[in-house]
Amino acid sequence: MEDEQIYLDPNSHLGVFLRSCILAFNMLSFEGVCHLLTNLVAYYNSNDSTYEMAEDDDFNESDYHGLLDDPELDCESSDLEEYGLENDPQAAEIMLHMQKNALPKFLEDNEASIDSKIKLDDDGAQSDSLAPLLNNFRSDDGLGILRSRWQVEGYLNAQAELLEKDAVSFPLNSFTATLKQLQKIAPEFHRVKYLQYLNALYHDDYIAALDNLHCYFDYSAGMEGLFSRSTSPSEFEVGRYETALLCLGTLHSHFGHPKKALEALTEAVRVSQQNNDDACLAYTLAAICKLLSEVGVSNMTGIIGSPYSLGTTTGLGTPLSTQQQLLVLLKKSLRRADHLKLTNLLAFNRLALAKFDLKHVKKPLLCFGPEASMKLRTCPISVCKELRLSSRVLSEFGADELLQLNDTGAFSTSWLKNLSTGANPWSTKLQKSRSLSVNDYDTFHFHAQPSPIPGSVLQLAGESYLLRATSWEHYGSAPLVRMNALVYATCFADAASSLELSSAYVKLIQHLSVFKGYTEAFKALKLAEEKFFSVSHSRIQLLKLQLLHERALHRGNLKVAQQVCDQFGVLSSSVNGVDMELKTEASLRHARTLLAANQYSQAAAVASNLFCTCYKFNMQVENATVLLLLAEIHKKSGDAVLGLPYALASLSFCKTFNLDLLEASASVTLAELWFSLGSSHAKKASYLIHQALPMILGHGGLELRARANIALAKCLLSHPSFSVSEDPDSVLDPLTQASEELEILEYHEMAIEAFYLMAIVYDTLGRLDEREIAASSFREHSMALENPQDEENLPTHWV
Amino acid sequence: MTSKESYRAELRSAARQLSDRGLYSAAKWASELLVDIDPDVPPSSSASSSRATPSTSSSARPLSHLHPDVAIYRRRLRSAAVGASGDVSATPPAGVSYISTPIPDDDGFDGGSNDRYLLAKSYFDCREYRRAAHTLRGQTGKKAVFLRCYALYLAGEKRKEEEMIELDGSLGKSDVVNSELISLERELSSLRRAGSIDSFGLYLYGIVLKDKGCESVAINMLVESVNGFPWNWSAWSELQSLCTTTDTLNNLNLKNHWMKDFFLASAYQELKIHEEALKRYECLLGVFRSSNYIQSQIATALYNLRELDDAEVIFEDLLRNDPYRVESMDIYSNLLYAKESFSALSFLAHRVFLTDKYRPESCCIIANYYSLKGQHEKSVEYFRRALKLNRKYLSAWTLMGHEYVEMKNTPAAIDAYRRAIEINPRDYRAWYGLGQTYEVMSMPFYALYYFRKSSYLQPSDSRLWIAMAQCYESAPLQMLEEAIKCYTRAASCNDREGIALYQLAKLHSVLGHSEQAAFFYKKDLDRMEAEDRQGPNMVEAILYLARYYKAEGRFEESEYYCTRLLDYTGPERETAKSLLRGLKIAQTIPSMDIEHFGS
Repeated sequence: MEDEQIYLDPNSHLGVFLRSCILAFNMLSFEGVCHLLTNLVAYYNSNDSTYEMAEDDDFNESDYHGLLDDPELDCESSDLEEYGLENDPQAAEIMLHMQKNALPKFLEDNEASIDSKIKLDDDGAQSDSLAPLLNNFRSDDGLGILRSRWQVEGYLNAQAELLEKDAVSFPLNSFTATLKQLQKIAPEFHRVKYLQYLNALYHDDYIAALDNLHCYFDYSAGMEGLFSRSTSPSEFEVGRYETALLCLGTLHSHFGHPKKALEALTEAVRVSQQNNDDACLAYTLAAICKLLSEVGVSNMTGIIGSPYSLGTTTGLGTPLSTQQQLLVLLKKSLRRADHLKLTNLLAFNRLALAKFDLKHVKKPLLCFGPEASMKLRTCPISVCKELRLSSRVLSEFGADELLQLNDTGAFSTSWLKNLSTGANPWSTKLQKSRSLSVNDYDTFHFHAQPSPIPGSVLQLAGESYLLRATSWEHYGSAPLVRMNALVYATCFADAASSLELSSAYVKLIQHLSVFKGYTEAFKALKLAEEKFFSVSHSRIQLLKLQLLHERALHRGNLKVAQQVCDQFGVLSSSVNGVDMELKTEASLRHARTLLAANQYSQAAAVASNLFCTCYKFNMQVENATVLLLLAEIHKKSGDAVLGLPYALASLSFCKTFNLDLLEASASVTLAELWFSLGSSHAKKASYLIHQALPMILGHGGLELRARANIALAKCLLSHPSFSVSEDPDSVLDPLTQASEELEILEYHEMAIEAFYLMAIVYDTLGRLDEREIAASSFREHSMALENPQDEENLPTHWV
Repeated sequence: MTSKESYRAELRSAARQLSDRGLYSAAKWASELLVDIDPDVPPSSSASSSRATPSTSSSARPLSHLHPDVAIYRRRLRSAAVGASGDVSATPPAGVSYISTPIPDDDGFDGGSNDRYLLAKSYFDCREYRRAAHTLRGQTGKKAVFLRCYALYLAGEKRKEEEMIELDGSLGKSDVVNSELISLERELSSLRRAGSIDSFGLYLYGIVLKDKGCESVAINMLVESVNGFPWNWSAWSELQSLCTTTDTLNNLNLKNHWMKDFFLASAYQELKIHEEALKRYECLLGVFRSSNYIQSQIATALYNLRELDDAEVIFEDLLRNDPYRVESMDIYSNLLYAKESFSALSFLAHRVFLTDKYRPESCCIIANYYSLKGQHEKSVEYFRRALKLNRKYLSAWTLMGHEYVEMKNTPAAIDAYRRAIEINPRDYRAWYGLGQTYEVMSMPFYALYYFRKSSYLQPSDSRLWIAMAQCYESAPLQMLEEAIKCYTRAASCNDREGIALYQLAKLHSVLGHSEQAAFFYKKDLDRMEAEDRQGPNMVEAILYLARYYKAEGRFEESEYYCTRLLDYTGPERETAKSLLRGLKIAQTIPSMDIEHFGS
């Protein structure tokens, strides 16, 4: 080696790096040199593959150049130089220090402890998912590779991202142990505390989360800001604790303490106004919006009462309702985000606005006279507009954004990722095997350079597709729901959190159950459950309950239905105003179970109670459903006259909110109600059904179509001028279609009706064989209805 | 053999053994105690004579003629002595007697190895630890092994300190470890397995384990060590530092030696069960009548119980007996600071400065002195010096935090407080300081967390509750109901300044609960009268009561308060006059029918 001359351009990247190394060496104090020597000796003696990476030849050329050409590396070495020149021994020592401790000690300590921990871990699957991560620590290219500040930070960022995405696969304790170890190695990294906070937060450990949050902000004084890292720390000497308050607010809202969250967030608003922290203010406003939209707050007075208060700025004497305040806030926040070029926030706000538009009628703040309110409708166009605008932010990430990334450790993060995929083929395999969070095209993804689009933005952009699916669900277009959910699941899985991804799957499975029946849906559910294993309180579990309930209702297995219903009720938090959607659904299902059990008065009581709640919390869209249910209850109890106003009210709600499919279903109910008033109303009923038929046939699910078909047949049959023998197909067609669909659904009660009608029609036509077939099907279904049996094991042990 | 005589014999031999092994501070502690055993008792009839001591020979403590305020303290002392005089050796509950622990013999040395030991010990005394260890290599006697290991441990500690400075800034955190720990642990554990380890070795093993972070094993080792050789105070104090909760303390399997009482008392003190600690110390005082150590501990406990005057008497006395004492004088300085006794603090600072200026305690005292003078920069400088000398000096971190708050340097203050919490997470003062800092930054909601934490750790301190209440009451939060709850809590735990009562009254009157408001105003008024105080609060209370009673129709009481108001100057006087006029009118109308009473 000695005689080999190495020619090195002093101005090349490597040359600069070496020069700064020499410079740093020259600046070292005697003690520093001693420590360096000790470390070198330790390295020489250890002689393991810890450093093998550096000597490895299988760096291929292009990779190498890719690395070198990257501005980041440049920055690193110049960093070093800077350190070396300015705060001489200290900086150099930080590096040495890190190196020294990170290498031998960590490996030694951890090799045993982590290994044993994994073995101790009961849940094999869980530890397995962590294995590639821990592997980073354990094996030869372990955490020892993290040498500089940025690398550790990059590691932490990567972990934070993973945590936020898929918290469940992080076993709480072993990750905490890892973090503790890391903290020991690098006590000056307060961000470790932040990770501990996140870890506790996502594992619902309130006390630990609170402690770590406060601890983190006490140490960091908000200087290593979460979104806006202040480049010149001298500028803010007072510390920026508004970020802490913002986090505290989100913590409280995560744990479902809306009041405390609001207090924290209002304080955050005040402090960030004091400190002129516009970015934080914008984020805080967004957080308040999120809180207000998620949590049912029926009355704002007394919660935000301080003079800066949000509503009064409009200059109106009257206090604004929660919804109006929310809108004002959203607009304000959007404007601010736009002004400050906070892309994430912009996307978020647009999404929030879209959500708002979806569910709320925009009333002009000043409106007079009754006729003004007659025209009120939601505006799907504005929803679409906001959604499109929100995913547009992706395009705003140009090349110039890359430069801003250099101090967030993003480079190191991707470098780490690259390392783990490149150096450890088996770990990649492992990762692939649980590839739920990885895009399919990911194999082609080149990791070495940080993607120009930060994950959070990508996530938001993806979320817009999810919201599109939801909005189509409301507007009643099944194919579009499916399409958007599919787009989301295939293209944005990489950036999505497991929660969001699971809700895309939920949408797809729901679609299946409505259009293909339960067998298919349960098959799909099984697959989904495998993907999202052990997700407690998750949407998948919820979906399972939903499916089970529906099926039990259809099969007439009321006991099971009631059981599932009770489990539903347990899932939601007991705090008032939290988990509103879940609570609404639970009582809706309760009412439907009661209805199926023919306990009309009780069902009506539950439903009207629910209506009151929805009204109180301004949940207008849910109102339409509840009203429709009330109409159904009255229809079944034989009190059609009482049912009519409910059906009409529901219809008008549906019109206001553009809920087309629900509207069609309400029309069918209305028709049925009319029909049950007597055959003289059959014409009106059939007119109503015909009106709704295009929507129903285009987008309706199996049940709705069957219902419409049966109602249609019934109308025809009762028509005085209609004779079966002349035009049998016009009755038989809808009936056969309905019966087929109902068989898929296993909806016995209605199937009985369909087959009964069919049998009668065949009887009058004199087609005896077919009559017999219909009659035997009729018998089959009525038997099944009377003795409901459970094929599958019942979900008694989940909750 | 009487118990005192046996105590003496035990301590005498223990001190010799300890100092022979280089365990200086434990030896110092034992020797001090040896001297402090009440000398007046004749060796024969211990029980009867000690019964006589409290009245007669308590004059052995030069208390009565020294200070007029000594009465309170003497009362304490007497009650303690009486308690102890019941049976001197029966500090443990009746029926349980102390287990006498045989004093272990020293290793028998043959001449050659003893000489080596002597050399090694001299090196050790000259702080040439590695050299001492080297000299003793290959020696197998227990004593020699101990000294060798101990020397190695100290060498590692010394190197650790040096490295800490090399690798880091002055007060920065550091994770340097003693490099000898691993080899020491290996050796000591094999010795223990072989059974050839004595109590001193176990003590060393304990501290090595503690440094390595294996705390539960360390506790076991230390317990074993103190059960074998109870006179090693260093082992006790290591054990005590590991007992961070009462549960751990109660689960220790300790032999019932009289040293255990010292340990328990000090552990209780540390766990803030001051009353219990005080009781135990007063019992011990029956035997070790003139012990400065016990005195200082009692004074500290009294200070922590906020019995400042009593504590001051004891500290003064202590300083008189032992003028060059530095230990626990920092607490005395805190006390003087709290009492704002300028001259005494200045005197104390001067004294310790001349005694030994590079002791953490002295630096802390000087810092307190500067702080009281309002020179916060200088104060911080001295606190920093104290912390440089001992980075685990808890109260210095907290006090430095206070100084930074005074200097409006909030990040530094928060950092200092956090360091204190790192050292002891149960330090309610630091939590309180953090809360205050955030409150100063006008983040009351954020501060609440810290106040909650501190009041959880010290629920009997009214100041913490008041601070929390003030947060709730502050303009941005305006959560008056919660504030009232906190003030009620504060009022129920001995609120000296009477802030809570006054605030309760005010809050209730704001919320329109006039009855409760009047109740609390009355209580506050009574308190002020009892303490013979004057002030605007008094006027306010009287005025409110006058109005309240008038509204209630209890004119006599109202008149009484109005007339009291007339003693004051200012606008209230005029209000009182008009109130009185109103009262007259109101009284005349209903008193029409009872005219004859008037005439």
